[in-house]
Amino acid sequence: MTAEFRAAALAPELETKLIMAVPKGRILAECAPLMARAGIRPSEGWNDEDSRHLRFATDDPKLDLVRVRSFDVATFVAFGAAQIGICGADVLQEFDYPEIYAPLDLGIGACRISVAEPRATAGQGDSREWSHIRVATKYPNIARRHYAARGIQAEIVHLNGAMELAPGLGLSRLIVDLVATGSTLKANGLVETEVIAKVTSRLIVNRTALKTRPEEVGALIARFRAALSA
Amino acid sequence: MRRAMRVLYAPAHARMTMTDDLPPNPALLPAGMRDLLPPDAETEAAAVGALMEVFGAHGYQRVKPPLLEFEDSLLSGSGAAVGDQTFRMMDPDTRRMMGLRADMTPQIARIASTRLGHTPRPLRLSYNGQCLRIHGSQIAPERQVAQAGIELIGHDSPVADAEIVLVGAEALYAAGLARVSFDLTMPPLVPTLLDEAGFTGEARARLGRALDRKDAAAVTERGGALAGVLTDLLLAAGPAERALAALRQAALPPGARAHAERLADAVSAIHARAPGLTLTVDPVEFRGFRYHTGVSMTVYAPGRHEELGRGGRYICGEAEPATGLTLYPDAILRAAPARAVRARLFLPLGHDTALAKALRVQGFATVAALDAAADPLAEACRQGCTHLLQDGIAVLIVKETP
Repeated sequence: MTAEFRAAALAPELETKLIMAVPKGRILAECAPLMARAGIRPSEGWNDEDSRHLRFATDDPKLDLVRVRSFDVATFVAFGAAQIGICGADVLQEFDYPEIYAPLDLGIGACRISVAEPRATAGQGDSREWSHIRVATKYPNIARRHYAARGIQAEIVHLNGAMELAPGLGLSRLIVDLVATGSTLKANGLVETEVIAKVTSRLIVNRTALKTRPEEVGALIARFRAALSA
Repeated sequence: MRRAMRVLYAPAHARMTMTDDLPPNPALLPAGMRDLLPPDAETEAAAVGALMEVFGAHGYQRVKPPLLEFEDSLLSGSGAAVGDQTFRMMDPDTRRMMGLRADMTPQIARIASTRLGHTPRPLRLSYNGQCLRIHGSQIAPERQVAQAGIELIGHDSPVADAEIVLVGAEALYAAGLARVSFDLTMPPLVPTLLDEAGFTGEARARLGRALDRKDAAAVTERGGALAGVLTDLLLAAGPAERALAALRQAALPPGARAHAERLADAVSAIHARAPGLTLTVDPVEFRGFRYHTGVSMTVYAPGRHEELGRGGRYICGEAEPATGLTLYPDAILRAAPARAVRARLFLPLGHDTALAKALRVQGFATVAALDAAADPLAEACRQGCTHLLQDGIAVLIVKETP
């Protein structure tokens, strides 16, 4: 039994802020115009990637923003540390948290999760005869599910970056990775052989927050929906 | 023969020499298991007591099923839903497989349809106990979970649905939770809608999954002719009035419409009896309600990220309508404000035992000295007492702030 939750349980409902988690990096810049149209105006320093601050107020006293790594947005929202967030469909598919709802496709950050192989060996061998395949990826669950559906065990080499090096150095036969333009693959002698899923960013909400604070969370979703159609 | 069963364990240091592993810390428990310490263990017992008292006061009679049952009875009917979460072992006596309960509702349903099958309906039963499940989730890692609940068997009506919700709300209030909300759902609505629209096989599974995750983009992509209706219903989840209005406006085939109307009737029945109770409605929710066949509910507390309870309508035995609600005392305890801990009174050696008895009746927990302490006040403080018996009076100990 932990005692640290007690104080939060007693906090008056109206005084707890909504927290929105937004991914750092590439998506952050693409989010900015959409957030502006949704009427979310972050405090100073939000767009400064070098700022050491992680949590930012907005002009709405009941909404704060946090800036976290894209993979962590899903975790913050799933655990209810943030009630709402912006997150790539790749991350949602990888973690597959049942606590997350994805009510809106924001249509930004478009890319795809793909299989890529060395140009020299691509297309060789009949994958129907494989019983296993070694895959380097930062999406172990997506890769495992993708191959399991065809009756192939995926032996995962879990990397956090530079997947493109893996086949050339003998770590794996192929990779499963996020592809935007394909230029990194090309530069490393790989070709995209299969698209597993198309990816865009989604507005996500915590399931419990939607049930316990339906008006506030619902109003934020509505603002983003209006911003999308504007 | 029993003596021959004795097992000798090599002393820890002898076992140690076999490997270089550090000895395990004796405080470490298996994942998802917890010790409850003072004062939490007492608070938990009091909370469960308060819940059970309210259940009993509303005519729900207590039953106590065993921890272990034969697998085929434990996992039949509504129990099938928790089959993959059930620990199993073989009964050395009969060589049949036994299961350790992961949920008590199927046990109550078994009792109601067998041993109490002949008793008049509606049958109202209450229970509390511990359950074990094979996996915790990352979000809720506990593998031992307490349950306290009620089952109302043999009546299919919105009034029965409302009674379950109201008794649950009153029990939660008694446990210290004044502000709870009930999220009402109709798990068979979406499956019926998909059936009536002719979804089958993989297309149905993929759409079901998208609905489960409320993934609007995927629902639009996979929903076919239903995409519009489903998207509207997806976004309708929220305060009961708004959600029911959306449900009324949606174009639903007859089967789905009947489910929607029953859900609305249950909401009206609850609202008529408890206008102040916060109700939300989620028309497309069906996740985790695998054995539920009608109006179902999940209990939340504001500001808390976990469910306090869950329940709903199911089929008891062969075909008997039933509904129930299971509350989770562990979650309730985390959400409830801390209770006042009982005052602890230190009794020095040679105290007046009759007076001590009278003080216990007043509500003190007494801590009797086992030997003569040089300084009873210091000893009382060391033992965590709030009061000291001095000259026949329970004196409050005030600690000076440095």
